[in-house]
This record gives sequence, C-alpha cells and structure tokens, in this order.
Amino acid sequence: MNRRTTKFLSKSGRMTIFYIFIVGILFVILTPVFFLVSLSFLSTREAYQYPLPILPELVTKFKLEGGEKGYLVSVYDRLEGEYQTVQDTDDLNKLSVYFKSQLSVYMSEEEIAERIAEFEQTGEPVYFTGRKNLIHNYNTFFKITRDAGPAFLRSIQIALMTIAISLTIGGMAGYSFARYIFRGRNALKFSVLFVRMFPGVAIAIPMVIILVNLGFYDKPFGLALVYSVGAIALTIWITASIFLGIPVSLEEAAQVFGASKGRAFMRITLPLALPGLAAAAMYAFLGAWTETVSAIILTQFNPTFSVVVYQSLLGSVGQVNLAAAGGIVFALPAVFFTFLIRRYIRQMWGGITV
Amino acid sequence: MSETTLTKPRPMTWRKYLDKAFPYLLILPVIIYYIIFWLRPVFSMVIQSFSSLEGEFTLNNYYMVLTDAAFGPALRNTAIIVAFSVSVEFIFALALALLINRKWRGSGIFLFLAMIPMAIPAVAVGAMWITGFTAHGWINSLLYYLGIIELNEKIYWLAASQIAIMAIVILIDAWQVIPSVMIILLAGLQNIPVETEEAGYVFGGSYVYVLRKITIPLLKPTITTAIILRLISAIQIWLIIVMLLGFSRMPVLVERIVYYYEEVGNLYVSAQMAAGYTIIVSFIVSLAAMVYLFVSGAFKSDDEEARL
Repeated sequence: MNRRTTKFLSKSGRMTIFYIFIVGILFVILTPVFFLVSLSFLSTREAYQYPLPILPELVTKFKLEGGEKGYLVSVYDRLEGEYQTVQDTDDLNKLSVYFKSQLSVYMSEEEIAERIAEFEQTGEPVYFTGRKNLIHNYNTFFKITRDAGPAFLRSIQIALMTIAISLTIGGMAGYSFARYIFRGRNALKFSVLFVRMFPGVAIAIPMVIILVNLGFYDKPFGLALVYSVGAIALTIWITASIFLGIPVSLEEAAQVFGASKGRAFMRITLPLALPGLAAAAMYAFLGAWTETVSAIILTQFNPTFSVVVYQSLLGSVGQVNLAAAGGIVFALPAVFFTFLIRRYIRQMWGGITV
Repeated sequence: MSETTLTKPRPMTWRKYLDKAFPYLLILPVIIYYIIFWLRPVFSMVIQSFSSLEGEFTLNNYYMVLTDAAFGPALRNTAIIVAFSVSVEFIFALALALLINRKWRGSGIFLFLAMIPMAIPAVAVGAMWITGFTAHGWINSLLYYLGIIELNEKIYWLAASQIAIMAIVILIDAWQVIPSVMIILLAGLQNIPVETEEAGYVFGGSYVYVLRKITIPLLKPTITTAIILRLISAIQIWLIIVMLLGFSRMPVLVERIVYYYEEVGNLYVSAQMAAGYTIIVSFIVSLAAMVYLFVSGAFKSDDEEARL
C-alpha cells in the first residue's frame, strides 16, 4: 500500500466514523418526535400494547367465527403473530362501536352483518379486513376534549392580537433604537432584557386582579396584553436589527426629492423592512401560541389550545394516543412558523449582542 | 435643518424640539405599556411579598419561604439543572455549532433536522417524554426492539431514585436546549469572516489554537447572549418537571410558585408563599444575569452614548 491509499483509507475511515456520529445525534433528536407522531396514529388498542408498535397498522385483519354468546371476533396481533379474541357478542352495534373506538376501523352495522351472513352460509371462520381511519384520534380529540375547537380558534385570535400590539408598539421603538442615538438608549436596551428576568408566572398572578379590573380577565384580549409584554421586547430587538440593516441614506434621498419624513418611511423603509417585520410577527405568534403557564392562570372558562392539550395530558381520563394527536396539532403551527423564519432566526442572533 | 432655521428662525423652533423629542416619542408607548403591564404587576407582587394577610408590613412571608421544607431541595434542584444547562449542554451546543459551521456534505439537512426540537412547544415536548418514560412507553419498547431489555423487564423510569430522575430531567432539557443554543452560536460563527480564521492557519496555528485564540474570542458576544438567555430560562424551568412527575416530587423554585398558587391555592398562606417565592426567584434570576453580564464585560457602555 502506498501512502496515498493509506491516506485515503484513513480519510474515508474518519468520514465513516464522522457520519455514524452524525446519524447517532439525529437518532436522538428525531426518535421522540417520531414516536409522538406514530403514537398519534395508533388505535387505542395498539396504544396500550407493550411493546408499543413502531408504526401504526394501516389495515386491521379480522376473524369471525361462532362464539358462546354470539359471534367471536378476533383481531390479528402483529406482535404475537396470531389472532386474539376481542369480542364475543351478537350485538352488532356494540361491535361497530368497538371497532371504531378501540381499533379506529369505521365499519357500519350493515357491513358487519354481511360478514356474519357469510359466516352463517358456510359455517367456516370468515376472514376479512378493515381499513383503519388514520385521523380517528385527531377527530376524536376535537370531539371529546372539552372545548378543543373553540380553544384552537381562540389561540389564533390571541396570537393575532399579540402580533398587532407588539408590532406597532415594539416596531416604533425598534426604529427609534436603530435610527437615533439618544441619552438612555443603552439603559433601555438592557431594560428590554430585564423584562425577561421576571418569571412569566410572577407577572400572571398579579395580572389576574389588573385584568379583572379592566374587564379582560378570561378574555382573549387580556391574554394578548400579557403576551405582548414578552413579544414587544423581542420585537424591539428584531426590528432594531432590521432597520439598522436599511441604509438611512435611502430615506434621506427620498426627502431630498421632496417627500416628507413620514412619506419617506412609508414608501422606502417600510417595504424594505417588511420581510423582517413578518419574521417579528411570527415570533410574536410563536410566543403567544405556545405559552401555557400564564394561560393556565389567566383563563377560567375560555382556555387556550395549549391549556387544553396540557390538561388532556395531565388528566387520567385522557388516552395517550388522543393526547398525542392533540400535541401534534398543537406543535404543527409552531414548527411550520419556526421553519418559515429560520433564516431570520440566524440573522437575528447574528446581529444581536448583549 | 440648519438652512431652514436660518431663513425662518421662529416658527421652526418647536420643530427642532420635536425632532429632538422624536426618538423618545417613538419609545414612549413601550414605556407606558411596560409601566402598566409589567412594572405595576411586579410592584404589586413585591408589595404583597412584604405584607401580611391584614395588609401590614412583615418579613414573615420570606421567613416562611426560607423555612419551607421544600425550599432547600427546590433551590438545590434548580441549581443542579442550571449548572448542567449552562455548562455541559452549552459545550455540546458549541461543539455542534463548530461542526456544522465546517460545511460538510449534508450539513444543511442536519441543521434543518436539528432545529426541530426548538420548534416544538413545551407542552408537546412534555407529551413526547411522558409517553416515553411510562413503564409501557416507547422508550422501554425501543429498548426491547433493540434487544437491550427483555419483554418482562420493563424499566420503571419515573419510580427511580431522585438522582436518576434528575438525570432524566436534565436529558430532556438537553434535548430541547442544545439545538436552540446551537442555532444562536452558529449564527455568531457565520458572522466571523473566514479570512480571520484562515490567517490563523496561514501562520501555522493548529485547529485548537485557532479556535482558542481567534474563533472563541470573536464569538464572545454571541456566547454571552446565548449563556444569558439560557441562564434566565434555566432558572425558570418547571413545566416539564410537573408534566413528568407532578407537583412536589422534584421541587424546583418556579414549580413552588405554581404549586402554592394553583395546587394548594386555598391555604390561607398560599398567596403569601407564592409571592415570597416569586420575589426570591426573580431576585436570583436578576442577580445571576447581572453578575454574568458584569463578569463578561457586557456592561461597558456603547461608544456612541459616551459621546453624547
């Protein structure tokens, strides 16, 4: 072996170890996510099996034969590799309900009756399959969880109000920080950080009284007011770095051509800042959408979606697969927006130093 | 402006004042907002922490908190979590950021996937790990499929010793925190001009030498940002612990606030205890942040402001 081959081998060996290492990290990162997604598609019967199936079954195989009380229905169990009896009844309605709630298979009484007729004709066990309704858990979560649908809409409403408040108030301040040098500027910059040092719970508890007095307790607007405290601080940071990136000379040029200060801002700076402002808006959305603690304290009969998911997880009545479905619905908008603004996340952190 | 003031001196003076006041006018709404919706609640919390039930001044609330049986463990648990979060987890995040910054085949996809944990809300993260760490959860199932444990030897994770549970909490924290810290550090790394590091190599520096003498010093402002944000939120950890273990199993400081406010809110000392804990937590957070900012030298004022 000459030196070049050794070098190549040692390099490819290093690369292999490197990529094994990378795959290992990805495995750790993605496994919990994978199992939560998978769990949200499992039928109730599967979700309470041990070991937990890695992937949901798409089609459930049934066996129907004569039983003591009526008809013996068995379900094929992938783990055991055999049919397991689940029901012995002649009540078609009971069977249909069982199929739906435990196996996520939507089969009407008529369809089951057809199978039974088949069995009665031959006397031999009848094998048939039922296609699993994959979004059964999602449907059920919204159906049985108190208020999940309205809470979902309410959360969106709160997030939009938070965006509106934080973008106007915070955007103005951000512009000021970026364009002007004034006394106390540095102290104010730190106070923005200081605001984050007080735990959210600590604000939420005294806010109960303040919001009751204002008439906004247990109302979406009240929560938007609370969420804006954090969102404004963040918006100032983001918008300041955006406006810093837009040369002030552009605005001045417009003013030379006779535009007023306000007009120059509206026609020149604002359109250029728009993508960055959108990123700030999405940040505000994420903050408001995911916040749970203040929402627990500041709502009573009108919870946000995060509170609904939180309660479905804590409650002993909740089924894990339903809670998983709720968690996925809750996480999806957050993941979507995070990836939409991922360029800005990096830009923002790169531009900001404490 | 100077030409206009020359031609029309009088009517323009108010304009001059307005120009001077303009930056303050722009930040005025923020200041008002924060006075109403931040300073006021904070203030009333401070007042409450110093008042007895009858509304008189007292230090008794703090005495109650400090002698609370759970205060010591809460402080200790929080300290352990914070220590891990800003040290071990931080070093991992820095290593990952340096790794991705070297731009290898697939680093873009890796970054994309590594961002997933930071995008998932805390409650959904809770869902993920609760379903994992129960005895018949996916972690035991996975270990079974991988052949590590037998079918009948389920590990009862959440019934484990206090130290093991602490390790689990730190692990979950690491899972979510490392990617987000990594993103911040990566952003800082990408702002460092390639030439500076190349210059280090040209003069014969090894990778470690360049890292120590060039990259890390240039990255220092970003590191300060990342650590300060981590410090602030690590001290305030509680939701994942409560979701996993319920209240009082592994007390941490903020968990105590919620415990006294939500769980045993009807006790006649509840509000007092919650207030006391709140102020103590806020004090610890602010103190830690201030000390860190002071030590890292971030308090040096801007040059621009010094010129004013």
